[in-house]
Amino acid sequence: MSAPRLIMKLRVAEARLATEDTLLLRLVHQSRPQLPAWTAGAHVDLLLPDGKVRQYSLCGDPADRSSYRIAIKREEAGRGGSAWIHEALAEGTLANVSAPRNNFGLAEGASHHLLVAGGIGVTPILAMARELKAAGSSFSVHYCARSAPTAPLLEELRAVCGDRLSCWFSADGRRFTPAVLEPPRDGAHLYACGPLGLIDDLTAHALSNGWSPEQVHAEKFQALRDENFVPEDFEVQLSSTGQRLHVPASATLLSVLQAHGVPMRTSCETGICGSCICDYTAGEVIHRDAVLQLAERSHRIVPCVSRARGTLTLAL
Amino acid sequence: MSTLDTQTRTADAPEHIAAFDHPVGKIARETPGGALGWRGTLLHIHVAPAASFEMEELAEAQCVAGRGIVGDRYYEGTGSYSKRPDVREVTLIEQEALDALARNDPPLQDGPITLLPIDHRRNLTVKGVPLNHLVGRRFRVGEVVFQGGRLNFPCKYLEELLGMPVYLPLYNRSGLNAGIESGGVIRPGDTIELLD
Repeated sequence: MSAPRLIMKLRVAEARLATEDTLLLRLVHQSRPQLPAWTAGAHVDLLLPDGKVRQYSLCGDPADRSSYRIAIKREEAGRGGSAWIHEALAEGTLANVSAPRNNFGLAEGASHHLLVAGGIGVTPILAMARELKAAGSSFSVHYCARSAPTAPLLEELRAVCGDRLSCWFSADGRRFTPAVLEPPRDGAHLYACGPLGLIDDLTAHALSNGWSPEQVHAEKFQALRDENFVPEDFEVQLSSTGQRLHVPASATLLSVLQAHGVPMRTSCETGICGSCICDYTAGEVIHRDAVLQLAERSHRIVPCVSRARGTLTLAL
Repeated sequence: MSTLDTQTRTADAPEHIAAFDHPVGKIARETPGGALGWRGTLLHIHVAPAASFEMEELAEAQCVAGRGIVGDRYYEGTGSYSKRPDVREVTLIEQEALDALARNDPPLQDGPITLLPIDHRRNLTVKGVPLNHLVGRRFRVGEVVFQGGRLNFPCKYLEELLGMPVYLPLYNRSGLNAGIESGGVIRPGDTIELLD
């Protein structure tokens, strides 16, 4: 399981609208000059007053540890977290924010990095572009949005990327399709962050055009919500003790493990934060999370949302 | 803003037990020995509102007998617990242990470790107090009377939370878990003395 993270009370040093519906926050510690270190692609958890948690990618400069920057798009149809943040987190207020965690890091030693951002999915991509530029690495960026005025952080991304940036604004008649991506070269890695549809199209295209799962990295905004999914009973075996547990259709694997005294770290319980990830050694898993990379799905499971058929053996 | 309004005591969180009811506290209470004639000082008071939350320093703290320090996770029942009943109303650590880490003594890791009072996650940082001698003993901090219940033990949780290799260097000098016999207000600068 992933390590616990410190939760800090950070002050909103700056709050301004980056676009009509995207709030840009700069967060500082009240007493420490330096915040915990992070790498591009990392996110922090922001705790809401009802105890729930939302994840936001850091979009600032990983080399600057004096503040964290996050961008929050107001999702009117969402679960209420972003609306609360827009209304409550004015300059000078305090927010409970976790230390960063990275589920979406840059591949070490890649020969080229191809980054694709959709809308607010630009946040980790901007940090990645900064880190790659600072390291003198080879990279290019595609940014897809409705139009320039609705594209958050466009000017900053432009300033970092220069002519490495290609913009795809549908209102201007330039609609992004995965077909515009260059074919994979040796050692290249593809990263995408954005809405489910974009990620699914892009991943499917890449895998059928010569990219291997190890070269494709994606971060989605929400876990898979397939309305037609019907949960079924399955069995789970713990490899350390041999204990067998029954997971009824009405319960999550996570809740069954917890009910039997298996200590599990949890946070979002919606398949996006990665807190409860564990390894499995045998079984057929139905992955329903939005956090595991393709190459991880052969041996890791997110038990708050994912299930199995038959018997699953967990390395717990 | 606060997220704490909605946090409630975890249903299966074990209760505190009295320091001298703890198996080791009980044995130590009946075993004579330990340093005498010392006089120490309270340097810092820190509390955290819930597990994983960063500690906050207090200029004074209300100690409640049988429960803990007002505002702390173990007073509120929002800490991380092992299932065993335990003594964890208040935790103490010696400044001298932190000083040893800072000079890499003994050299168990790559180099010196700066473990600030805000980071070690014990409630009270004390100076001139032989904490390892206080299991099974009564002592006072200012007007508050404490009972030493068991030696504190470093946990992997702290190491993971801090991202610092503190487990081994804190071994056997991680401080003391104590109960509160009679409550009151404590402040940095308060005198610490052995009672019996």
